[in-house]
Amino acid sequence: MEIKTRNEGTRLTISVSGRVDTVTAPELEAGLKFGDAECVVIDLADVPYMSSAGLRLLLTAHKTMLARGGELQIAGVQPSVKEVLDITGFSGILNLV
Amino acid sequence: MTARRSLDLKLILSVLAAFMLSMAFTWFLHSRLSDRDAYKLIDRTFENAEAEITDCVNVRLVQQCMAARERIDDGHPLDTESLQALAKELHVTEISVADSEGNITHSSVQDYLAAPGKPAFNFRTAGGKAEDMMCLVTGPETEYCQPYRSNTANGAWRKFVGVWRPSAGGFIEIGCDGESLRGLARSSIMDLFRNWRVGGTGGIVVTTATGLVLSDYAEPNREGSQWSDPDDSFYWKRKEIEGFPVYVTIPKNAAAVQRDVLVGATAALNGAALVFVALLVGIVISSFVRQQLRVQTAKELEMAKDIQLAALPNVFPPFPDESRFDIWASMETAKEVGGDFYDFYFTGQERVLFLVADVSGKGVPAAMFMMRAKTLLKSIAQTGKPLARVFEEANDALCEGNSSNTFVTVWAGEINKLTGHVTYVNAGHNPPVARRGGRVEYLKSRPSLVLGAMPGVRYSLNEIQLEPGDAIYLYTDGIVEQPNAAGELYGEDRLLKLLDGCTQKRGAVLQTVIDDVRRHAAGVEQADDCTQLVICYRGEPETFSGRYRPVMEDLAKATADLSSALKQVPEACKNRLMVAADEIFANIVRHSGATDWTMTVERTRHPDGIRLVITDDGKPFDPLSSRDPDTTLSAEERDVGGLGILIVKKTMSPVTYRRQNGRNILTIGSDYGNQDKK
Repeated sequence: MEIKTRNEGTRLTISVSGRVDTVTAPELEAGLKFGDAECVVIDLADVPYMSSAGLRLLLTAHKTMLARGGELQIAGVQPSVKEVLDITGFSGILNLV
Repeated sequence: MTARRSLDLKLILSVLAAFMLSMAFTWFLHSRLSDRDAYKLIDRTFENAEAEITDCVNVRLVQQCMAARERIDDGHPLDTESLQALAKELHVTEISVADSEGNITHSSVQDYLAAPGKPAFNFRTAGGKAEDMMCLVTGPETEYCQPYRSNTANGAWRKFVGVWRPSAGGFIEIGCDGESLRGLARSSIMDLFRNWRVGGTGGIVVTTATGLVLSDYAEPNREGSQWSDPDDSFYWKRKEIEGFPVYVTIPKNAAAVQRDVLVGATAALNGAALVFVALLVGIVISSFVRQQLRVQTAKELEMAKDIQLAALPNVFPPFPDESRFDIWASMETAKEVGGDFYDFYFTGQERVLFLVADVSGKGVPAAMFMMRAKTLLKSIAQTGKPLARVFEEANDALCEGNSSNTFVTVWAGEINKLTGHVTYVNAGHNPPVARRGGRVEYLKSRPSLVLGAMPGVRYSLNEIQLEPGDAIYLYTDGIVEQPNAAGELYGEDRLLKLLDGCTQKRGAVLQTVIDDVRRHAAGVEQADDCTQLVICYRGEPETFSGRYRPVMEDLAKATADLSSALKQVPEACKNRLMVAADEIFANIVRHSGATDWTMTVERTRHPDGIRLVITDDGKPFDPLSSRDPDTTLSAEERDVGGLGILIVKKTMSPVTYRRQNGRNILTIGSDYGNQDKK
């Protein structure tokens, strides 16, 4: 798994590359550091699939940003990931862009 | 039934009794009515007869009185003897001459005349009815008749008649006793009543005071003979009119006939009405009962159908862990319960028997025979005997006590799932369709005798080799013999053509056939049960197996193993499998308490797909029975518990779980190739 972070003022973009599952989730969790950014974008364009281990991280991140009055955006969702988000009802919670 | 029959009898008897009672009442009523009518008629007749007799007598007596006046005016001596002689001559009892003051001046009766110390009889002063005669002096009457009655002067019965005597200013009076009356009026009365009929057959009889018949309507030649009162067969009454005893008689039989005709007609009418009402009620009741019976029978047949259907294996795919072959079957029952069935089951480690059958006849008997045949075949086949032997034993058993001569046609095949080798027996059934190497043809073989027809029959065993991708399609005649409105049957040619062009796999082909048969029928009701079964042979799957420990390190290894095992699988399908597998792996490693777990990956052909069998020795856990989390909650309320299982259930098909030998065995599958590679 590869995680790249790009900072543009108060906007933080985290690009994830590779599958997100039970094995890789701890790695992703470690990479999700938001600093004091007001808007965080997690780009999943290079994530082929994601299991519920990844969903847990996305939900935690979403709640964190909400608590501090910021915003979390999920970008570049692939069909396989979208299917999982739809089944679990996460599409309705997360801010997909 | 007996109770009902006795009820019917009681009903009929009580209706009959009521009918008889009402007839008796009618008869009685009409008897009384005709009695009353007869006596009314008799009374009326008397009124008329009295008037007639009185008229008749009066006319005759006025004649005599005038004759007396004429003789007296002509100078007939007026002394008592001379007047007595005149009275005798004129056949009257007495003659008197009165002056204008009402005094009798001359009379044939000495008593009326004046004597020393006794004035003459005076009409004005005598009292009683005598005074009435004075109207002859005062006018305007010129003649006057008194009724026959007891007279004022001496109490003797007399009828007095007077005529005015203009020559002297007084009047002449004659008196007649009964005998002289009868003598004078006899012939005119006889004429009067001879032809007088009362009530059709009745009449009037007049007699003398001594009972000699003067006039008899019924027997004219009886006149002069002695009268005797009529017997009970007559309504009759006697009355004395003007000194004549008069009898009015009506034979009862006339009235009785009238009454009997009336009662008879009433009875006939009532009877007809009763029969009509009984028929009507009978029709209404029987149609109601028939309706009830129909409803009940329909309900019972519906239950029989349900029981029949429930006896057939109806979970598909039936062997989800089995990747070497697929079986799909369906039965579309016609309106009436029939005797079709299909069945399939393992008869050994590698052998699977599959069959389609059709019992002769319809209704509950066929359904029961079907259950027997199905059970027999299965219980014998599962002893592992060769298929032909199974048929022979089942046939002998079905023939025992088969008094109704019901039989069953069966086509059964037994496939070795490892080799694709099929042995089959055809007991009088339609030949199935085989698809082999992409070619579709009827699997014709010389059929053996149907089961249940004759004991001791030998069944011949046939064989056929299936390669991966081959299939056999079994059906009952309900499919090929479905007519359309023109009476044209669906037919084997149409079926073969449809199957040849059919690229669908698994159960879909069954629906395709049913749809095509319905299209052909175009609204014509389904004639018979339509039963089908298709078995597809997939052959040896490509497999991978691994054994792991419940640690994260091995979970990563299993993920890598699976990923490489799915190299050839299309991306979307692979991603789905990877997610589902990750959820299951994570559950086992974190929650199961297992000491060891395994994963087997099988690639299936026809259609192309993956079966993932994951086992562990942890605590029993059936993911299928777990409750789905609520996916509609807001972000604050959500957690991630249970989401993994939900994802597996939603993305995988089939998903099956079983617990066996202390292990959880979970099979998940996903098919990606639903196109037939010809």
